[in-house]
Amino acid sequence: MRVILESKVRSKPNLPIEAEAIIPRNFLKGTDLVVFEGNKERTLSDLFWIFVEGTAVSPENIEVVLKGDTSRIKRVGEYMDTGSIMISGDIGMHCGNFMSGGTIEILGNADAWLGREMRGGTILCRGNAGHYCATGYRGEKKGMQGGRVEVFGNTGDFCAEYLAGGEVQVHGSTGDFPGVEMRGGQLIIEGDATRPCANMKDGTCVILGRVYEMLPTFEKIDRRVLPEWKIMADVYKGDVANRGKGTLMIKPPGPV
Amino acid sequence: MTELLVKNACVIDPIRGINGEIMDIAIRDGRIVESVSDRAESIDAQRCLTLPGGIDSHTHVCGTKVNFGRYMSPEDMRAGRTQRRGRMHVTSGYYVPTTFGNSYRYSAMGYTTLLEGAMAPLEARHTHEEFTATPHQDMLANTLFDGNWAVMDAVREKNINKAAAIVGWTLNAVKGYGIKLTNPGGTEAWGWGEDLTGIHEHVPHFEVTPAEIITTMIQANELLKLPHSVHLHCNNLGKPGNYQTTLDTFELVPDLNPDRQTLYATHVQFHAYGGGTWRNICSKAEEITRSVNSKPQIVMDMGQIMFCRTMTMTADGPMEFNLHCLHHNKWSNHDVELETGSGIIPVTYSKKSAVNCIMWAIGLELALLTKSPWQCLLETDNPNGAPFVKYPEVIGLLMSKRYRDEECATLHADTEKRTSLCALEREMDWHDIAVMTRAGQAKALGIISQGKGHLGIGAEADIAVYPIRTDSVDPAREYRKVVEGFQKTRYTIKRGRVVSRDGEIIVDGANATFWVNAKVPEDLRMENDPEFIKRFEQFYTVRMSNYPVQDVYLPRGRCIETEAFT
Repeated sequence: MRVILESKVRSKPNLPIEAEAIIPRNFLKGTDLVVFEGNKERTLSDLFWIFVEGTAVSPENIEVVLKGDTSRIKRVGEYMDTGSIMISGDIGMHCGNFMSGGTIEILGNADAWLGREMRGGTILCRGNAGHYCATGYRGEKKGMQGGRVEVFGNTGDFCAEYLAGGEVQVHGSTGDFPGVEMRGGQLIIEGDATRPCANMKDGTCVILGRVYEMLPTFEKIDRRVLPEWKIMADVYKGDVANRGKGTLMIKPPGPV
Repeated sequence: MTELLVKNACVIDPIRGINGEIMDIAIRDGRIVESVSDRAESIDAQRCLTLPGGIDSHTHVCGTKVNFGRYMSPEDMRAGRTQRRGRMHVTSGYYVPTTFGNSYRYSAMGYTTLLEGAMAPLEARHTHEEFTATPHQDMLANTLFDGNWAVMDAVREKNINKAAAIVGWTLNAVKGYGIKLTNPGGTEAWGWGEDLTGIHEHVPHFEVTPAEIITTMIQANELLKLPHSVHLHCNNLGKPGNYQTTLDTFELVPDLNPDRQTLYATHVQFHAYGGGTWRNICSKAEEITRSVNSKPQIVMDMGQIMFCRTMTMTADGPMEFNLHCLHHNKWSNHDVELETGSGIIPVTYSKKSAVNCIMWAIGLELALLTKSPWQCLLETDNPNGAPFVKYPEVIGLLMSKRYRDEECATLHADTEKRTSLCALEREMDWHDIAVMTRAGQAKALGIISQGKGHLGIGAEADIAVYPIRTDSVDPAREYRKVVEGFQKTRYTIKRGRVVSRDGEIIVDGANATFWVNAKVPEDLRMENDPEFIKRFEQFYTVRMSNYPVQDVYLPRGRCIETEAFT
């Protein structure tokens, strides 16, 4: 079954919509869902043209497609456990919060907090992602714990903060402090990064681009070949300031 | 004139010696009276357990420390969220909830009076502001004097009159209720990067010992005729082997007051550890309770811990630093100028940890081994041992041996070997619980004369009606019903108004803040003492004239006047 939600033109397009109800499982019983626009309660049909194609008996066969201006829609796919969501444009903050299964694909850009505290499933973002991509939340000790986030563009600051499990791959560059407080999982940055992996406890981070302002609290232990990318990389252990046991692998600048 | 009649209440009122009588309670204008007119609104209690409103004699719900706990744990604000509903504000938080969250949850449990365990005098304004935002409970603030420079100077000079005058001036200035000593001397030593390990060690730069501070303050307290006694958090909190310090401290206490205790020792569970390291820590509850049983001048409270995630916050800075070294988690440390300090860290009490299991057992042992329930009151040092919402579970554990055995079976195997909890057969009855949760507190805090903790004629109409039929529930077997019953009252009545019905708050609160105006003879007054003024202006960051809390901070302040000493 495919559910197409095309956003209607709103008189105040900047008002955020809180749409944690948009997950595939909820469409099994129909499209009569409640979302909030600002502090006003709305039904889904107030804000979207809804088209349903086909039927489904189980939620894993449901695909939700979001079209039109979706850049201010927040919390799409929160607590999603199965099925898929396709977003043809940009998406607002907190997309895929606490997601534990299924797939979200974003063809445009994602705002901050993409895949926050994710437990499983896959998020593909074809454009750029905002700050705090694949992280934890304020004060929480564990961020993303499983699943996979792949960003084809760049991400903002604090990408994969408190990463505890799963895999985060950024094809572009990240902002400041990627992988800060990492305690597990894998972070791959194919572009550049600034001050990566501060206070890292465990886990692995690979950076293929240039590293700016490398922290002095990482200890270089090895230089080895990474067959997956066919390069030589410097291997660092850290963050030694807090007895961390993480691994940071960086392609040295210049020809090797 | 508003009138209310509570019919068919099964009343337990230990202060008046009533134990399970079915009676009607008449209320007029917030006070209990002989009878009311026929027009009075009436409530049928249906023979359910009816007690005076609960009193918590040591809790941390308001003030800078609590608020910093909130700052530090944004993750806690994701728990316990409730929406705005009827008269209820939005709330959030579990172990450090918002002030309204605290107030509503206490009210749902039948609590109507709270004593904030530690208010730094310099930060009194904030505390009083939060008091007004905790609307359903009357509030009292224990004021910290453990590292007060002026007090320590007076102690060194052995000048009890001067110590009393400083206490009187400060209580009056900050609208405090009683004297709290937290790790006396130790917190000040921590300000110099040191800690004290015994009560006869000298505080650096002041040449006084904790023992001298305690004895002087006890005498100053009685000289001022304060309603409450000295409220002491002993030295060496949470260190294995600290029970000896606690016993030594208890030995210092003379019996000076016929109406109440002379020393209130708080959260004694944290002060009753034997052994020498965390590996061989064991319970010394028997030694502690033997001492307390022979000393009517001492009242203690349990400081029970329960297994959950919570936040420890205390003025005992060095102790929190030691805990921080153990847990490597976030930590806050604070120095309050010439007065005291504080520390805050989050903790998780786990059944997998032998130390935590032993701590859990010690709290219960203390309550069960103390012969008189008037001498061991029920609390968890909220939120240090556990958030106060766990009180019903503590009540269940005290009333049911079977519940304790079932819990013990899930604990670390060492618990049985290093504590005697499993051998204790005592099961408390409804009367004991009524003493340990309200009557005992009212007596210890000296607020019986303010109409608290009992339901006699003229008392404040603070009443809790629990959905428990004492004649049909056997607490030893049906402890689940007891726990559920104490979690939500059928009615909580505050000053003659029903504020909470089945856990739902139905009116806006209008609490009062009790404070003590301790009279000091003219010639001893601190505002006339040039030396005190000079030191104050020299070392404080505020002027002495800006220090006192203005009346506007206490919109519903209630002053308790004491007689001046000579």
